[in-house]
Amino acid sequence: MNAEQTDRVEQFKAEMDQLGVRDPSQGRDRLWLRMAVGLMAGGLISAIAAYPLAATGNQLEQGQAIVQGVLGLTAAVVGSALFLRYSFANFLRFWMARLSYEQQAQADRIIGSR
Amino acid sequence: MTMETPLLELRGIRAAYDRIEVLFGVDLVVNQGSVVALLGPNGAGKTTLLKVACGLMAPSAGDVLYAGKRVNGVRPEELARRGVAMVPEGRGIFPNLSVRENLKMMTYTGVALSQIEEIAFDRFPRLAERSRQLAGTMSGGEQQMLAMARGLATNPAVLILDELSMGLAPIIVEELYESVAQIALSGVSILVVEQFASSVLGIADRAAIMVHGHIVRDGTPGELENELSSAYLGNQQESSGGNK
Repeated sequence: MNAEQTDRVEQFKAEMDQLGVRDPSQGRDRLWLRMAVGLMAGGLISAIAAYPLAATGNQLEQGQAIVQGVLGLTAAVVGSALFLRYSFANFLRFWMARLSYEQQAQADRIIGSR
Repeated sequence: MTMETPLLELRGIRAAYDRIEVLFGVDLVVNQGSVVALLGPNGAGKTTLLKVACGLMAPSAGDVLYAGKRVNGVRPEELARRGVAMVPEGRGIFPNLSVRENLKMMTYTGVALSQIEEIAFDRFPRLAERSRQLAGTMSGGEQQMLAMARGLATNPAVLILDELSMGLAPIIVEELYESVAQIALSGVSILVVEQFASSVLGIADRAAIMVHGHIVRDGTPGELENELSSAYLGNQQESSGGNK
């Protein structure tokens, strides 16, 4: 190997050394997605359940029901955001693959029609 | 020419598509400046192994190491930016863009178009003649040249090639593998996956035969040539004394 090639390999080694490696986990996206669905559903159920609980003359119980409702709605909003984040990533990956495939198919059609 | 320092190392790789496991503890090493051929019949798990090697797929177990650094979980674009290039099966070019536009797409890596064209056209002069032509209208061999040129544009240290010969005439395949040999001579470490062994064994320093998610044999091309037919025809157990 000449000096230039050795430099490239050394540079590659140095760049790999600098690489920040996260702890790997294959199903992390799926886990986040499941958690998001859980938060959305759980949050909504909690908020809806809080509504009849608040229909009381007891102010303490009303306060607790309001807190439960707000927490439920917060969980649902956070869950929705997480769901959008992780389902959109999957969708966009699929969309890109689809676009590439359609481009290839279209090019094949153009070539075939000549 | 080759130095015995592993630039790419796969250790005990297991991988699965949902619940279907396709790789069962695969070990493979690509040393600096060497060409390693990964051979095997259709469905052996070769492409899956490449996906794991370049970060497109996370292994369920095992380690991927580049220059001794464990890179499990690193995104493929991170690896590409640092010098790992992959030419996928089916070429991965934009058929509706011209050759020049296809090369221009590689400027996202931060390399100037003039530099990319210099690398591409020096290595594959035919692409210079076709620079204004739509990539999808070129011959299969020329499209493969373009795909390789795009891979080389980032000045990779490791080049991963998947089924280079797919759908091409033998004479074109020979020409492409001559280019691969020249690229290896320039110091790039190359891992080639091939279903048709004869074309790649002529330029490989080492080769491995993969069947049903296992490396059943590895060695020099000379050592493997006689065992290929038995591996492909299914009685690989007889020749599995090597790397399990």
